[in-house]
Amino acid sequence: MLVDVRPTRRLRGSSPVDVSAALGPIVEALGQDTVDLSRLRVVCDWVQYKHNFRDVIDIRPIMGNASSEMGLEAAVDLRRCAGTDLSAATATALREFHHPGSADRTYLEPWTAGKDSCIWEFNSLYWQALGRWEEVSGKDYEQALPGGSSDGRNQDAARELILELFDTWDELARLSSLPEQLYVVELGVGNGGQAKTWLDEFRELALIRGVDYYQRLHYIMGDYSPHVLKLAQDAVAEHSGQVSSIVVDATDPTASLGFLRHKAFLVYISNVYDNLPTDEVASISGRTYRVEVRAYVPREGTLALAEMLSSSPDQVGAVVGKLLRLGPELLAEALLGQLPDVPSAVRFWQEAWSWLRLEERYVPLEGLDLYQICPSVTGEALRPILEDRGDLRMQVSNGAVASFVETLRLLHPYGRLHCHDLFVTDARRYDSHFCGPGKYDGSIVNWVNGALVQYIGNRRGFEVNYSPFRHREGTNITTLTAHVRE
Amino acid sequence: MTPLQGASPLPLLPTTVVGSYSVPEWLEGAKTDYYQRKISKHYLDDIHEVVTKAALKDQERAGIDVVSGGELTRDNDIDYLLVRLPGIDIPDTGKSNSYDYYDAVVRQQLPTSSRFPLSLTADYQLVRDNTDHPVKFSFTGPFSLSRKLRNEAYADSADLVRALAELLNAEAKRLVAAGATVLQLDEPLLCGYRDQVSTAIDGINTVVDGVDASWALHICYGNRYARPSWEGHYDFLFPAVMDAQVDQLVLEFARRGYEDLDLLARSGWDRGVGVGVIDVKSDEVETAETVARRIRRALRAVSPERMTINPDCGLRHLPGDVARAKLRAMAEGTAIVRSELSGVTPPSDTTAVREESAVSPEPVQEGVTQS
Repeated sequence: MLVDVRPTRRLRGSSPVDVSAALGPIVEALGQDTVDLSRLRVVCDWVQYKHNFRDVIDIRPIMGNASSEMGLEAAVDLRRCAGTDLSAATATALREFHHPGSADRTYLEPWTAGKDSCIWEFNSLYWQALGRWEEVSGKDYEQALPGGSSDGRNQDAARELILELFDTWDELARLSSLPEQLYVVELGVGNGGQAKTWLDEFRELALIRGVDYYQRLHYIMGDYSPHVLKLAQDAVAEHSGQVSSIVVDATDPTASLGFLRHKAFLVYISNVYDNLPTDEVASISGRTYRVEVRAYVPREGTLALAEMLSSSPDQVGAVVGKLLRLGPELLAEALLGQLPDVPSAVRFWQEAWSWLRLEERYVPLEGLDLYQICPSVTGEALRPILEDRGDLRMQVSNGAVASFVETLRLLHPYGRLHCHDLFVTDARRYDSHFCGPGKYDGSIVNWVNGALVQYIGNRRGFEVNYSPFRHREGTNITTLTAHVRE
Repeated sequence: MTPLQGASPLPLLPTTVVGSYSVPEWLEGAKTDYYQRKISKHYLDDIHEVVTKAALKDQERAGIDVVSGGELTRDNDIDYLLVRLPGIDIPDTGKSNSYDYYDAVVRQQLPTSSRFPLSLTADYQLVRDNTDHPVKFSFTGPFSLSRKLRNEAYADSADLVRALAELLNAEAKRLVAAGATVLQLDEPLLCGYRDQVSTAIDGINTVVDGVDASWALHICYGNRYARPSWEGHYDFLFPAVMDAQVDQLVLEFARRGYEDLDLLARSGWDRGVGVGVIDVKSDEVETAETVARRIRRALRAVSPERMTINPDCGLRHLPGDVARAKLRAMAEGTAIVRSELSGVTPPSDTTAVREESAVSPEPVQEGVTQS
């Protein structure tokens, strides 16, 4: 048996975690079971997200070829061990493993790749129906952010970026190579707050500098939600002569912004990548695996949801599926007798989201080149990290990589990508930290595999750098900048 | 010599490539393994021979008239020469990826003697021995090489360019002695140094001096990682490039449009033009008719006798299937226009394309721009 205690920093300090108290009953319960202990891994994490997709103890099969099980992983959330009957929790998890169905879970999907799980449909629904969610929860999304506001509104950060841009344009103007239209793109515009801050600063700084850059500026706001774009347009109404808005899929920006290929001087993305679909891969004893997941609602959750519907538990799965297809407004119409109004449907949605869990299993990856991270990047890009780190589990950040790679295509030779997000900038962090997924209000958060993004950027001729976000203290936000390498 | 004369007899609008050919991910991996000491030089040489033969076969099957070895034995467009040049110091010869550039330094003035063979002849011979087609052999020009060197030896960087050019001149003579008839100098970095074209042209003229070959000069907007390194126009080349003692300019047009061809006409360039008709920075495969349309547009400014048909730049960054399809489209599109010019019905496989588009060939008028 191999025991991997990952949150090593928690073992020291004023209130260290009592690993032995946690592990004792778990190992004892495992010892009383029939599982092959020689092929068992016990992996202890500290899941910092209060709301997440895990139980205190999860049992995960490590598959071999032909769907046979080669080993087993017991995943432990150390943060929640205190106050839990770990022996009973372990026994329950093992029982479900040996006798699938015994825990009476409501499955919402078959086994699937992480990025294809229905949890991302929940995530999309949150952004599509954010207003409805906020009405019922009584707080804005921005209030849920650390610090209570988006870093995109930070004036100092905007000013710094704009002045760098002006310097570049001055130099190109000197060489008679500055195009007439100066394109700046923002992907994921939220409520337009960042765009407004940025454009206000831009206009003022251009005036001070005595240049006509504001008149030549074409600021393109991109978001996948027309509703969000409308709100953002309203926020920047006074700059309407300089602004266009366009529906953009962040994971495929060239599909709608192809006309900007090699033309954008700045692409700005804030807090988008951590919210895009991702797989996870793992290297275990020299073999590479993809983590497959299966979303479910545990029995207690099913009963609670059934009560909200005044129906039997076996209807819960179908209604959740209907919610994801229709959204809360149409669901309320469709189930008028059970969910009398939209707020009731939203409360059902919030309850389902809170109970949502993921079963996991490790499935062998037969050749990294056969695994597509995104359409233009194969799994070979994972090789340097996987070969360098021994046993490792990490996010692939498929959506983020797709967005990043396709965004690079938009950049002018002197352009840059500027991105604020949660990045794992050093793969060693995966050895000691839990990096998601967690639940953030009604959305998903995963730390972005910054080491992978950096490698992929380098292999496309870009210098990719990370630095802590300088304009707010105590934040986990990292600033990624990418520009063409000499 | 006239363009590609050394490769005659050739059809009107001969098709050729700029140089590099598609490098699969696994090949770059194998090359990187070599730099990380995981495979031997012998092993890598074997791989290079096989892939070069395959590249030649692909070009021949696509219908390319003048082929190249695809530069598949090179790690990138600079280092393959820097490691061979005498007097260049490369402190660390390991690489995390074969395509990365070395940190190379010239600490003292380079030797002027011609007794330092750079072994490009072996690369040429590998190509020559494996095809019956005419061969174009390309190598990087002295200006671009100089921009990738940390210069600690020359007070005037133009002197470094000249010194590099002299070494390349000696090698060019060896290539001709080995049988090369069509040589091409690539200056991939020149577009980023618009104020130094005269220096580059001086270097080019030193390289070609006394070398009995048909010379092409390729200048594009950059193709490192399939990205342009500059966005602008070819106006920066003129008038300095008029002094270049070369037979042909090989330029990038497909990605950016053909307006700059008119610039050539206006400037009085009356030598050969290699017209880029394939966008190498896009995976989208052109149709034969698209190629034909681009050639017709180019014929407004350049007579067919002076024109060679090629991609915008090397195919290095394109997937193999895309590179093959693009070359096929280029050959087929060229065949359409050849037929139009000669009044002969094109072969059946291109007739359908032609009838579908029903576009009349543009009239050919030397040096005249039509709107």
